[in-house]
Amino acid sequence: MPQPPDYTTTLDVQLVASSQAGDMVAFEELVARHRDKIYARAFSMMRNEEDAIDLSQEAWVKAWQRLKQFQGDSSFATWMTRIVINLCLDQLRRQKRTRAESIEQLDEELGGVERQMPVVASNPTEGLERAELRRRIDKAMVQLSYEHRTVLILHEFEEMEYKQIAKVMNCSIGTVMSRLFYARRRLASLLQSLKKEQQS
Amino acid sequence: MNTELKLQALLDGALDAREIREIEAVIAQDIQSAALMQELKWMKAAVAGNDVEAKLPDSREFYWSKVERGIAAEERKAAAAPAERSWWLKFLYPATGLAATVAVMFVISGERSIDGADSESVQEDVNAISFRSETEAMSVVYVADENGTFSPVSQEVNNEPEADK
Repeated sequence: MPQPPDYTTTLDVQLVASSQAGDMVAFEELVARHRDKIYARAFSMMRNEEDAIDLSQEAWVKAWQRLKQFQGDSSFATWMTRIVINLCLDQLRRQKRTRAESIEQLDEELGGVERQMPVVASNPTEGLERAELRRRIDKAMVQLSYEHRTVLILHEFEEMEYKQIAKVMNCSIGTVMSRLFYARRRLASLLQSLKKEQQS
Repeated sequence: MNTELKLQALLDGALDAREIREIEAVIAQDIQSAALMQELKWMKAAVAGNDVEAKLPDSREFYWSKVERGIAAEERKAAAAPAERSWWLKFLYPATGLAATVAVMFVISGERSIDGADSESVQEDVNAISFRSETEAMSVVYVADENGTFSPVSQEVNNEPEADK
């Protein structure tokens, strides 16, 4: 019985080419290499393990179906991340339609709240160890609405420009800037509260 | 764009040279703007490199088996879609032909030529042509098949006895 090919040392570009030709073993190797990153992006947006697993799997199925459209303009990982981001956004929009808006969210949508927040005078993350800083940021991110969290993720972690975010999120550049501004100010305020809690 | 968003755009490198000069002048003169700029810088620095580090709880084999099943399900769905469309297409042409025949016969029975001349009626919507000849005392209905070829599907001949004429 012939052994399946060993793709462990094969480059992504070659695995993509083989997958485009219908080689499922090559595609399985791509899934194995990037599955944690894709899942982590889904989790960072959804903040729910079950949703993140389902959406990351759906992203891989979609990727297989659309593999022929991948031209290699970006890396495979970037292309995959865009697919999972779009799936998460669709899901978050559906969820938003079915739940009542909180007063805070309405305030955010109306704008102006961030301007009333006092400016944080000392760095709320100064002196924190990396693990603790990550834990606090994570805790604060959960408290942001999905629109603000997503803008922050896309800008800071996916390194997308305002224009690209506006396209993905189907909103204006002005809205992206305003959401990003609010997200950063709210994050500063939340981190300062966490610092005060820790000190008291 | 207001000053606050310009401060942020400066931080994100989204301003041109003229805008940078303008906003830097504002920061130099306005303490509040300078403090806000500092806060934004702290947040950008704090977030950088602190993306969520989540690992899939499923094993490689288990996760792949679910992805593989998802792919197979989508491929089955895609393969089933044309088949679902084709089952009614098999009945479309005969049904159209039958409907055309009925429609044409209905027209023929309602329209008898008075002056005894030959007549032809074309039903564009049903792809059928009927021909009636009073002199030959006959009617013929032609119905188009799926290739657009007309062929006679019914023929009516009135053989009236000579004595009745």
